Amino acid sequence: MIEGLGLQKHYGNIKALNGVSFKINQGEVFGLLGPNGAGKTTIIKMLTTLSRPDSGKCTIGGFDVIKNPFEIKKLIGVVPQENNLDRELTAYENLLIYGMLHSVRDIKKKIQGTLEMVDLWDRRNSNVSGFSGGMQRRLLLSRALLTEPSVLFLDEPSIGLDPLIRHQMWDVIRRTRIDGRTVVITTHYIEEAEVLCDRVGILSKGELIALDSPHNLKATVGEYTVEFISTDGRLIQHICKSREEAHNLAKANETPVTIRQSNLEDVFIKLTGERIE
Amino acid sequence: MIVSGWYPIFLREMLLFRRKLLRLGYLFSAMVVPIIYLLAFGLGLGKTVKIHGSDYLTFLIPGLVAMSSMNNSYTWVASALNLNRVYFKTFQVFVQAPVSPSSIMIGEVLAGMVKGLFASFLIIIVGFLTSPHFSLKPIFIIILLLNCFLFANLGVITGMLSKSHEDTATYANFFIMPMAFFSGTFFPVEKIPGLIKPFIYLMPLTHTNIAIRKAEPDMEWLISFAVMIVYSMVFFVYGSRLIKKYSE
Repeated sequence: MIEGLGLQKHYGNIKALNGVSFKINQGEVFGLLGPNGAGKTTIIKMLTTLSRPDSGKCTIGGFDVIKNPFEIKKLIGVVPQENNLDRELTAYENLLIYGMLHSVRDIKKKIQGTLEMVDLWDRRNSNVSGFSGGMQRRLLLSRALLTEPSVLFLDEPSIGLDPLIRHQMWDVIRRTRIDGRTVVITTHYIEEAEVLCDRVGILSKGELIALDSPHNLKATVGEYTVEFISTDGRLIQHICKSREEAHNLAKANETPVTIRQSNLEDVFIKLTGERIE
Repeated sequence: MIVSGWYPIFLREMLLFRRKLLRLGYLFSAMVVPIIYLLAFGLGLGKTVKIHGSDYLTFLIPGLVAMSSMNNSYTWVASALNLNRVYFKTFQVFVQAPVSPSSIMIGEVLAGMVKGLFASFLIIIVGFLTSPHFSLKPIFIIILLLNCFLFANLGVITGMLSKSHEDTATYANFFIMPMAFFSGTFFPVEKIPGLIKPFIYLMPLTHTNIAIRKAEPDMEWLISFAVMIVYSMVFFVYGSRLIKKYSE
């Protein structure tokens, strides 16, 4: 469905992407996980026709993003990382303009449907400038869904949201996964990637360093993590392949230890030696 | 509802424009500069100076209409497009939609024309109130529309090329401001020294000022009209190309 092949991109002297290749299957929720500056947004911008790669190729549904941008634009819906709503317009007007740009049929009915989906129908005539951050993220999502896209791109969909609102956002995103829709999410929230994604590509410094399901990624490096505080006050983490190995390590340690299931951050630390911040 | 690609872009600008109109500051800012010129030059010199056989105010008002339509068509498009592209990122919505670059161009340019015409309309009202010889002829309206179109196209180019909002103001200071003063708004271009005349005739506003003051189309009018058409087409094609090549 979606394919990136040898994608490279420079911004001045900064190498944003260094030969990234991946395939995303139809109907899956695919996550791009990595710290800020890893290249997640650059990939999304390339796939959504907003940025051209210096070299490499990307296709969606067989259409080349550079050669057939018009066809690509008919397939996709985008929730950008940076809020690009018209703040001086109402929620309804924002969706109306977007729907007209995409030649949406039965536009009034569809606007009502998508605004109800994100619980904003009652606020349809309010200016977006008066919306909270969470409401604006929900409006961005409803705008992206208005065209009933085959592929939905969500660039850091819950960035800046408090935990309660973030969980509500996840519920809405889960509901968008219908009719074989492919969803591509970038995030630096570990839990978000684990909760929402079928497969995750881990990006670090413009390179894709791992790509698999969250379960397989954790199994590769070890499903259990032993944590303890060292005598000099540092947090020490050991990733273990089995429960027995973790228990044996805990017994051998004189200080109090915690044994927990590994998460994708542990995978990232194991692969790069750095944390996702 | 199926609509042409330019219409939602135009509609968006008009919805925003309607909100701006409701603020007193917008009306004031659109009128203040030409009104100051009208008071300072027109009413001050109006009775004493004769140009082309008529009083100065009759000469000045079409020039002020040309200048005001240029300023407003250009500035609002350049400024809004640059802000939408660099700061608010709303321009992304247009380039990610299945509409052609020329549709985006048309939508932006038509919106710029409306803003330019609105400001011109205010000056025209003042013209009718202050100058008994001022009148609106069809060729005046044609040139006014073309001038708005030309400078709205240039506004798109500036909005696309400027890397920051400050750059937009710099372009205006280098190109628009000198044009306002040296292109025959306040005095006939034939009074300008011969050495710099070729540069003056390169400026599109010079041709607007020549053509907008004609009572009937003649050869000079046709030449200026043709120059404005050429500038408009070149700016339109270049602006559409910039939108097509847009990449973040």
